[in-house]
Amino acid sequence: MSDNKPPITPGGGGAIPGPAAGAAPPSPPPPPPKDTFTVLFDGKPIEVPKHVNLIEAAKLAGIEIPHFCFHPRLSVVGQCRMCLVEIEGIPKIQAACTTPLKEGLSVKTTTEKVVQSRAANMEFLLINHPLDCPICDQAGECKLQDNSFGYGDQRSRYDEKKRQYAGFDRTLIGPHVIADMTRCIQCTRCIRFCQEIAGTGELTFLDRGGRTLVWTHDGKPLSNDWSACAADVCPVGALTTREFRFRSRVWYLEKTKSVCPGCNIGCNISIENRDFTVYRFLPRLNPAVNDYWLCDYGRFLSESLNLCEVEKATAREGDSVSELHVPAAVQKIAASIRGASPSDVFFLGSAHLSNEENFLLRKIADQIGCANRDAVVDRSRARKMKSKSEWIEGDHAGANFAGAKDMGMSPGAGGYGLEEVLSGKAKPAVIVAADAAFSQIADDPEKVAVLRRAKFLAVAARTANALTRAADVLLPASSLAEKEGTFTNVQGRVQKFERAFLPRPPARAHWELLLLLAVALGFGDRDWTPQDLRRQIQAEVEGYDEVTEEELSGGILMKKGTFVSVGAI
Amino acid sequence: MMGEKVLLARVGRADSRSIGTYVADGGYKALRTVLTGGWTPEKLTDEVKKSGLRGRGGAGFPTGVKWTFVPKDNKGKPVYLLCNADESEPGTFKDRLLMEEDPHQVIEGIILSSFAIKCRSAYIYIRGEFYLGARILNKAIEEAYAKGFLGENILGSGYALDLTVHRGAGAYICGEETGLIESLEGKRGQPRIKPPFPAVWGVFGAPTIVNNVETLACVVHIVNRGAEWFAKIGRNEKNSGPKLYCLSGAVNRPGVYEAPMGLQMKELLFGADFGQGMKGGKKVKAVIPGGASAAMLTAEEIEDCPLDFDGLVAKKSMLGSAAIVVMNEDTCIVEAAQNLSKFFAHESCGQCTPCREGTPWLHKVLTRIEEGRGRLEDIDLLERISNQMANGMTICVFADAAIAPVLSSVGKFRDEFRYHVENKRCLVGPRSDDARPSTLNPQLVAS
Amino acid sequence: MSHRRYNLEESGRPAEFPADARARIDRILTRYPTKQAALLPVLWVAQETWGWISKEAAEEVAKILDLSPAHVDGVLTFYTMYNLRPVGKNLLQFCTSISCHLAGAERLMDRCAKRLGIGLEETTPDGKFTIVEVECIAGCDKAPSMMVNDTYYEPMDERKLDALVEKLSADA
Repeated sequence: MSDNKPPITPGGGGAIPGPAAGAAPPSPPPPPPKDTFTVLFDGKPIEVPKHVNLIEAAKLAGIEIPHFCFHPRLSVVGQCRMCLVEIEGIPKIQAACTTPLKEGLSVKTTTEKVVQSRAANMEFLLINHPLDCPICDQAGECKLQDNSFGYGDQRSRYDEKKRQYAGFDRTLIGPHVIADMTRCIQCTRCIRFCQEIAGTGELTFLDRGGRTLVWTHDGKPLSNDWSACAADVCPVGALTTREFRFRSRVWYLEKTKSVCPGCNIGCNISIENRDFTVYRFLPRLNPAVNDYWLCDYGRFLSESLNLCEVEKATAREGDSVSELHVPAAVQKIAASIRGASPSDVFFLGSAHLSNEENFLLRKIADQIGCANRDAVVDRSRARKMKSKSEWIEGDHAGANFAGAKDMGMSPGAGGYGLEEVLSGKAKPAVIVAADAAFSQIADDPEKVAVLRRAKFLAVAARTANALTRAADVLLPASSLAEKEGTFTNVQGRVQKFERAFLPRPPARAHWELLLLLAVALGFGDRDWTPQDLRRQIQAEVEGYDEVTEEELSGGILMKKGTFVSVGAI
Repeated sequence: MMGEKVLLARVGRADSRSIGTYVADGGYKALRTVLTGGWTPEKLTDEVKKSGLRGRGGAGFPTGVKWTFVPKDNKGKPVYLLCNADESEPGTFKDRLLMEEDPHQVIEGIILSSFAIKCRSAYIYIRGEFYLGARILNKAIEEAYAKGFLGENILGSGYALDLTVHRGAGAYICGEETGLIESLEGKRGQPRIKPPFPAVWGVFGAPTIVNNVETLACVVHIVNRGAEWFAKIGRNEKNSGPKLYCLSGAVNRPGVYEAPMGLQMKELLFGADFGQGMKGGKKVKAVIPGGASAAMLTAEEIEDCPLDFDGLVAKKSMLGSAAIVVMNEDTCIVEAAQNLSKFFAHESCGQCTPCREGTPWLHKVLTRIEEGRGRLEDIDLLERISNQMANGMTICVFADAAIAPVLSSVGKFRDEFRYHVENKRCLVGPRSDDARPSTLNPQLVAS
Repeated sequence: MSHRRYNLEESGRPAEFPADARARIDRILTRYPTKQAALLPVLWVAQETWGWISKEAAEEVAKILDLSPAHVDGVLTFYTMYNLRPVGKNLLQFCTSISCHLAGAERLMDRCAKRLGIGLEETTPDGKFTIVEVECIAGCDKAPSMMVNDTYYEPMDERKLDALVEKLSADA
């Protein structure tokens, strides 16, 4: 964990200079340098990129070298000693993670020495480790369990009292992280994360030898913006998150690929869910956006996806509000749109809605000849995320403002936007707000009162606010977890999120509600899927011509090689 | 050459610490020879190589060869010389003597060695407990600066050197060269992965040479009297020069003794000029030849046992820091092993798994045996734990050091361990009732 | 020494280095190419100023050297000679490594502790003595070897130790 660490250079850098070579006979010109090395694993050669760690190179060869302290984005420390292998030409076993790659390196991972060293190391790690598996959140995604099963001995020969850390177990060390030092295996991943990625250095080793533990400076909690990532990198249950504590065994959780709704950086997440409930967000690796990380704010929005305050469609008659079926509610909205002149209708999209949803809303407006459309987003505090190569910044309180604008949710020729409506310059008769949570404006009684001046206010929502309470027709919408779609992030990258589970009827995804409205207005096909909508986007929206299903699996830039996003700010 | 004191020439003399005494005795002549006599760093390095000087800190690596590991083109980075004065190996006390009684010999050695590797800034890393040594060195350094032996343009040669005393604060592992480097950088003294070696990438990311106090003192004499002279002293070319031996334990006259490298063990213990025999006429039971990290030898094994690097390797032990600890027939070997294991459990830095977990485990098992709660399986267990801790399992050789007393005591005194287990008491030695059987506070054994 | 070094204690007062200590620190900083390298020497200045290193002192040192307090904690707790709590006027350090052990160091230490009525790492109620067990202090030829504060007393025995303790007790 040195701060001025040496480069673990490929090519065996740092070796003791050898004796000078004698005169050599004339030789043919050297071949052009390649950017890979040939490395042999258990006799089998494979080409590996020069700048990866030996553990990563082994993975490319399909060989697992067990490890704890190595992490692809943190400095190499070689402390856990789990990755010991035999290197041809070196008599003693070597740590794979600290062995520089070089041409012709020959690694043996299945010899007696290696097998024994792994079993020995597991024995050492387990002698003081508490038998907490039955109550430890890490079970099922615990490297200690995995490596013990894979490489350890079944018996324990330890007959002494196990080391404990009274006062340093089961304690909150920050707003989100619970530390239990009795489980710690002193790998220093958490310390290195805080020093090297977060840059805040809250964690340190204290004491030494067998009494070593990881802790914060008293009074300075683990409170950086990405503190829960320390719990992510912890290979055991020494650091866990408070919000997830005891909530579920991880092997029951389904993993759904999604994108964080917290801001316009669009970190890739895995929505971990079960039984129509979201249990947690975990970061999903994307070196171009969030790499291995996820900020605490975004991560702990997970619980908000379970909130469902608008369960049924409702319609207001005077002072009374009654429930009705969604199709009937949609018909009411269509009727009032048809009953008004197009210039008196106003369509409000949202930075929280997907490209498909904003696109469909725009299409509805176009179909009835209405140019009054808009989408706004609140500014949030500055957020930062470390991709593999750089820091990305965002400051929108919604994931898809850029996409909403790209889809055309801005006033058309001769049309007006939200500003004119709120200032009173424009007085629409019908307002269709596709997402009641579009901004803090929707919870501001004064502003909502202005919107309420419209004769007919139609709103789709999942959570209640001043706007939903003022609506004439309120449609129940579902969460991010209950639909698929795409967001366009601050980089102009279009990223797809998938559906974890179906919405709870009668609530539906916003795009489903909008599709019902389109059909009620006489256009579109009620069998359209988000995929169909994306094909239309690809054909009709400027700059999205390369957004195909294949490209979306990786998350692409709109225009290869350039940033051109109409709405990205 | 037998009786001549080279390194200890001034020790015991009145005012031996002052620069006046040192200069009057021929001190700083070597510095003059090298800096104003047209020596190049390469010539000095060659002399030291020819002398066969090997590190006196414990590893015994050829000093001149080590100096050549500094890259010829180090891309403008400074080179550092670090004097390892962290002497903490149990049984060792020679560097303390040299620094407290003849600091200028050490300083002159440092300046010469710094010149050889083109270093402009050197540090003496001295253990925190040597308060007196640090004060004495600081005063001597002040004197040296005042006389122009340190600082800018030394002796008008253009060579400049700054020397700073840096105090440690209680960690044996800071005697390991990369642990020392980490500590000097203001961190926990946790040894680094090697390669890269310090000569290429050391303190502050720059080429660094770490040399022991006694090694550096020898350099003065190599310059003054020649590499050949140095090489001829001692048992053979590979084990050359005058050597300081630290004798302690059950002998009549413990102390620091100087003799040509390769002194016979029995001479050190029994010689009239040295240990003068066993206290109370007791018999030798076991001897640790090179500090706690060296395998102990039985009474039979010390017959014909030259105290030098190769001689002790031949006995499957090592010279290490030349700390000879003598145990007599009244010593319980189990208790001695337990005491040694306590040292290693306390001093492990804790960064890598086998040592962090293995050293306390060894100590706990030995404590149980010592306290009469051992089992026969524990004896094999001790060997097994030891064998899975070393030989590449760890980042540094601390673990290899920690297992040496365990493996050698169990291997050579197995019957005594068995007796201990079966009878729940020591085989030998008077144990009075109020003698605490364990060296650990009982509260702490549990942790 | 086996006791765990986990917690810093609060002194309850802000830690401001007096002017002469500050001057020493400034001189120390000129001897190293990085501020971090001055950490061990500066911690020694702190210990010499206050006798021990409190949480406030650790934070002040961190501030002066541009280090995180966690880093300072990590160093402080790694090295055994930094006192994490106030110690008695006389810190009695008994070496119990092999040569001193062979010479009966633990018996000497235990006897002293019993007579003073304290355990290891504890301080007498009058604040005069603290007893700690240390590893080899390089006094092996004069075993059993011990230190009181920064001074060696070796070889030590029961009689000499009793006399020393009496003398130190009588000192104001």
